[in-house]
Amino acid sequence: MTMMDPALLILILVTGFYMAWNIGANDVANAMGTSVGSGALTLKRAVILAAVLEFSGAFFFGSHVSKTMQSGIINADIFSDHPRILVYGMLASLASAGIWLQIASYFGWPVSTTHSIVGAIVGFGAVVGGMEAIYWEQVGFIISSWILSPLLGGILGYYIFNIIRKKIFYALNPVEAAVKFTPYLVFFVVTVLGLVLVFEGFRNLHLEYNIFEKGLLSVTLGLIGAIISFFLVKRITPASKECIPIPAFSPDIAHSLEKARKHLQKVNAATKGEMQYHVGLLIDEVESIEGSIQQKHDSSFIHLEYQKVERIFGYLQIMSACMMAFAHGANDVANAIGPLSAAVAILTTGLYAVDAPVPTWALALGGAGIVIGLATWGWRVIETIGKKITELTPSRGFAAEFGAATTIVLASRLGMPISTTHTLVGAVLGVGFARGLEAVNLTTTRDILISWVVTVPLGAVLAIIIFYPIRAIFGS
Amino acid sequence: MRTILNLFGRSPFAPLLSHMECVAKCVHYLFELFDALEHKNDELIEKICEKISSTEHEADLIKNDIRGHLPKSLFLPIDRSNLLEILSLQDSIADNVEDIAVIVSLKPLELLPAFKNEFKMFLQKNIDTFDEALLIVKELHDLVESSFGGMEAAKVRGMVDEVAFREHEADIIQRQLLKCVFKAEDQLNYITFHQWQKVFESLSAISNLSENLAYRIRRTLEIK
Repeated sequence: MTMMDPALLILILVTGFYMAWNIGANDVANAMGTSVGSGALTLKRAVILAAVLEFSGAFFFGSHVSKTMQSGIINADIFSDHPRILVYGMLASLASAGIWLQIASYFGWPVSTTHSIVGAIVGFGAVVGGMEAIYWEQVGFIISSWILSPLLGGILGYYIFNIIRKKIFYALNPVEAAVKFTPYLVFFVVTVLGLVLVFEGFRNLHLEYNIFEKGLLSVTLGLIGAIISFFLVKRITPASKECIPIPAFSPDIAHSLEKARKHLQKVNAATKGEMQYHVGLLIDEVESIEGSIQQKHDSSFIHLEYQKVERIFGYLQIMSACMMAFAHGANDVANAIGPLSAAVAILTTGLYAVDAPVPTWALALGGAGIVIGLATWGWRVIETIGKKITELTPSRGFAAEFGAATTIVLASRLGMPISTTHTLVGAVLGVGFARGLEAVNLTTTRDILISWVVTVPLGAVLAIIIFYPIRAIFGS
Repeated sequence: MRTILNLFGRSPFAPLLSHMECVAKCVHYLFELFDALEHKNDELIEKICEKISSTEHEADLIKNDIRGHLPKSLFLPIDRSNLLEILSLQDSIADNVEDIAVIVSLKPLELLPAFKNEFKMFLQKNIDTFDEALLIVKELHDLVESSFGGMEAAKVRGMVDEVAFREHEADIIQRQLLKCVFKAEDQLNYITFHQWQKVFESLSAISNLSENLAYRIRRTLEIK
């Protein structure tokens, strides 16, 4: 310990905290803005939910990706002679990413925090420590996860929305179909959350379960969620029952008549003579009954039905937004906390500590940084996004968020630092390809490519430029 | 944050509807136009023709705006060529109305008692057909909402059948009308006959185009 060390420690903590603040200020809006835009959540509720879930995500589940950032990219053994160099490197990486994000947001460029910090760490490690200082295989995995995550988000978004529209929008009675279908969706979401996230995260609280117990508990949680949602949703009645006083009409009747007509047509095709004539008369009769029902069908209640379906999805979207906020906290906290905890560990306890688990206090610091960023600036961004995104109705928002969140959760579990924004973009595009949106701008895919091609090298160059002054000031 | 915002392009569906509403304004001037013609109010005819022409121009501006904002990078829930065809069909309807206005204003025209009633029925039926097509275009937003299937699609399919039926009725009335016109041979000189013939053609084009428009929208639906 030299005289300068406390100053260095404070500088590291401040820079790391600033990164966390930045994530809270700019990126949380991706998780919550869509829900505010669709009207599923008010701004106030969205901010409170986001604060709670981002913190829990970061605190309970942030360790996997943070561990990758802390010790999965740079081989610390290379620096065993001068461990302080690694401290400077991590600080330089944090500062580089912070500066680059500031510049980019000033000009309004679409960049990803994850890409700039990974670029910075790799750049510093490769230049200062040499090529062998980097676990290239791991870096390869990370880069492929950047390509795969928007794709997987897109595929999930596409299929989830397709299921929703085939099962609910195309049903003869969409509200009833939605009411029937909701418990399954809730069960699925809660079980996935339980299985991958919650019980995994309890390790931080020193609660251990085996796989069987985890599975059982998740399914139980899912069932409880499904049952609760079943009773909540049951109260919603289809618009057709309110608007149409004619007791004879119900979509089921229309469906049965349609079946009867088809069967009669089969009989008609297979018979001859008098029989065919009588069956033909029957078909005419059925068709005229169908026509009379169709007319009642045509009234304005169809619009009301879809509105009610969207209201049900409003509740579901709150759930998917929570999942998204949790996943975002879990993945993005690493951008601030990974380098920070590596630097602090070396500075206070020595090089061997880099391989130790990410300390709980660091995750709490990151979570707090995100929440403060959200409280001081992020809510404004959520408001802006919410006002501008009105195209995403709750059903579309649910499909996109659920697809993106599942992908991010999976990546977080595997310790892959991915861009949550790009994954969400992929998921929204997926919903668009499933004929869910009025107009999707495909040029955003170009933005994603630019983010890959420009941000990573620039983060690296900036980190190297910042590294040398830091070393000059604090000494090697 | 910006990436997410940029993701949502400018939707052409709302402008498409406002274009159709502009066209509808044009079409509905026809009632006033032929009313003025019946009362031989040449001044009023002139005025209505000007209104039709300026409304048609307004529709053209919306049309160009829609066409100008359909870059290849915009992904739509319906086929781009289908959308453009819908737009150009709507545009042709307005063009036909303008044609009628021009023909009528060229030379004072008399609505002969020999075919007056048939003509009024014919006019009404053509505009009815158009109005039903207008209702379908108004359903486009709900179609997007329901992602082009289910009950909403079934409803639109029914409306398309209705348009087709009205167009058929208009054809039948046109035949009766022509019979009456040919019977009144001695009351018409060649120029007037030609003028009326042009008016009938453009009027029946309105219902034909409305039917095509309805079938274009029918094509976007997801029902077997």
